[in-house]
Amino acid sequence: MRFICNLCSSLFPSLEGGGSQRERELGIDASTRFATLGTIKASVFWLLVASLLGLISSIKLHSPSYLAEFSCLSYGKVYPAFWNVLVYGWLFNAGLACVCWISARLAGRPIGNSYLLTIAGGAWNFAVIVGLVGILVGDQRPFRLLEFPSYAAPLLFVSFLGMGIWILLAFKARAYRSTFVSQWYVLAAVFSFVWIYMIAQVMIFLVPAQGVFQSVVASWFFGNLSGLVIAPLAFATLYYLIPKTLGQHIVGYRQSGIAFWTWLAASSCSGLAALVNGPFPAWVASVGVIASFALFLPVSIFGMQFVSSLLSSFSKIWDSLSARFVAYSVVAFLVASLLIVFGSLRGPQETLQFTQFENGLRFLFLAGFGGMAFMGGSYFILPRLLNKELPSSGLIDVQFWIQGLGIFVIAASLISAGSAHGALLNGSEVDTVQALASVQPYFFIATLGFVFFLSGSLMYAVSFFWMLLSSRSEKEKSAELLKSAPELEYTPS
Amino acid sequence: MNRGPFIFLGVFVIVSLSWALTLVKPISEGGQLRPVGSGDARVPTVMTGGAALGRETYQELGCVVCHTQQVRFAAGNDIARGWGDRQTLPLDYIDQSPVFTGAFRIGPDLTNVGARRDDAAWHLLHFYNPQIASPGSNMPAYPQLFEKRPIVGEGSSRALDLPEGFAVQEGYEVVPTRKAEALAAYMLSLKIQYDIEEAPSPEKLSLK
Repeated sequence: MRFICNLCSSLFPSLEGGGSQRERELGIDASTRFATLGTIKASVFWLLVASLLGLISSIKLHSPSYLAEFSCLSYGKVYPAFWNVLVYGWLFNAGLACVCWISARLAGRPIGNSYLLTIAGGAWNFAVIVGLVGILVGDQRPFRLLEFPSYAAPLLFVSFLGMGIWILLAFKARAYRSTFVSQWYVLAAVFSFVWIYMIAQVMIFLVPAQGVFQSVVASWFFGNLSGLVIAPLAFATLYYLIPKTLGQHIVGYRQSGIAFWTWLAASSCSGLAALVNGPFPAWVASVGVIASFALFLPVSIFGMQFVSSLLSSFSKIWDSLSARFVAYSVVAFLVASLLIVFGSLRGPQETLQFTQFENGLRFLFLAGFGGMAFMGGSYFILPRLLNKELPSSGLIDVQFWIQGLGIFVIAASLISAGSAHGALLNGSEVDTVQALASVQPYFFIATLGFVFFLSGSLMYAVSFFWMLLSSRSEKEKSAELLKSAPELEYTPS
Repeated sequence: MNRGPFIFLGVFVIVSLSWALTLVKPISEGGQLRPVGSGDARVPTVMTGGAALGRETYQELGCVVCHTQQVRFAAGNDIARGWGDRQTLPLDYIDQSPVFTGAFRIGPDLTNVGARRDDAAWHLLHFYNPQIASPGSNMPAYPQLFEKRPIVGEGSSRALDLPEGFAVQEGYEVVPTRKAEALAAYMLSLKIQYDIEEAPSPEKLSLK
């Protein structure tokens, strides 16, 4: 097998050129620099917007008179605006920036067509702006993460196609015939988003399914968006970053295939678990519950792979800024997934249904797992892309703790609020106003969490723009600044 | 796993199977329901024009973020709370597009709010300032649905009857806009006053 690989790579003489490894990498990075940087810039901007909207919606949850004079900022609009900006603004941009750069690096040679990525990325962000304004002026639609109005959705879809095609071209142009797990997840995320977004738009809005079945489609879409799109983007980043930052093989790399297919199969139905006991066919919700429980298998494989890899190089985690974001992301993934697995069972659902538990859990999964992985990725990518050192490791250190604390506090307070509220809402006949009033303290704590989260985002933005705008030092002008990261992804463990 | 088409095919098969099994199958089996009966006896009841406009306002303001429209029988205590007499079924929703089943209950369920609160004036006061009608509520006020204007002559018959402590200054009145009245009409229209034989309810269970 290795002979064939060597034979194949020898077919591309550009790889065997006289330049050093680092110069070759510089060539690859240069081919995607403009587009990747643009996408990261957009992600930083949207992270700030999302943090601010999250803070406003969190304050409004316990103090409804806050900013009440602005009708476009009522809770019913800020809340969907927050989630949509968080996912389509921040996570998609950050995730796509990471996987585009990783795709180019794993392809092993410069990738052309970066104009396609630039145009598609610009169009995507324009669509997110249009969608956000649409929600705030009242054109929203009543399904989670499908709130963007009908005039924003087609542009969002088409621009994603553009980015997806670029990723496919990068995969097609790879110099090594063998693939690395990250590439599987990148492809899976691209294919899945195209599919599920099309199905959701057609079955809910273009040729609407009858009545409650729109909600079935929406739940299916919501579960798949986080399980088949955001999670694979984050897995792609983790599988790349763990070997690169720790100099450590993924332990049990051979099991990746099982984890990949079982994760996709189980997540593709797990969103339906939210429909239990509602006016929906009961067996559809049961499929969702079973699928959610089946997530236990891939989650345990991921857990073994990631945790063993991290533990076997534990001392190195604190040496690398990226690695500690990776470690946070792995822990957040395991906690959130286990809560999804056990929270979807009918017993816990009887208490937790319709409460803030779901929001806390989803925030932990999306921001804690996805967001922290992409941040770690951006701290790994930026020095290489710009050939500059990270401006202040102290600032990034503080940012890590503040952001991490923010995500933890938000998730923990909303999850506890959900279980306390659910016990009163679903398990007693206490008046709804009193039931909510009794969990008010948790909402105050969540607001505190959003203050931390916003501060972390501001620090992230500062260190990003500081790095972007500072001039290069003498040392940074030489190409030998960075030690090349180990090429672990090509060697079978 | 080294080939793109293989991964594409795998993902395609998984997503398509999930789509066919959990969306296409239930919709083809139970998503082609027809209303039963006609005229006043029609199930589900037909919504009036004013309420339909209020439905749009409901969507525009994002009410679905905090209010569900589904009554559960097998779990929770929706029926004990008086939110309905029986489990809601797909037939109850066939006229609604987009449907507002919702996923969060920060406020109460609204499937039958028109039966619980049958006074439009209550709803208007509640939209104007929820603290008037349900003190301590976390619901935001919607003053933009109302117009505050100087009283001319006898004043409008539609003006809100604001209680002590919430009244506006002397010589002014608060009049609901068309949107507010439509939203109130929509609230009043939210009631299920027919039975569906298959729908589980406490009475049916006790007969068995």
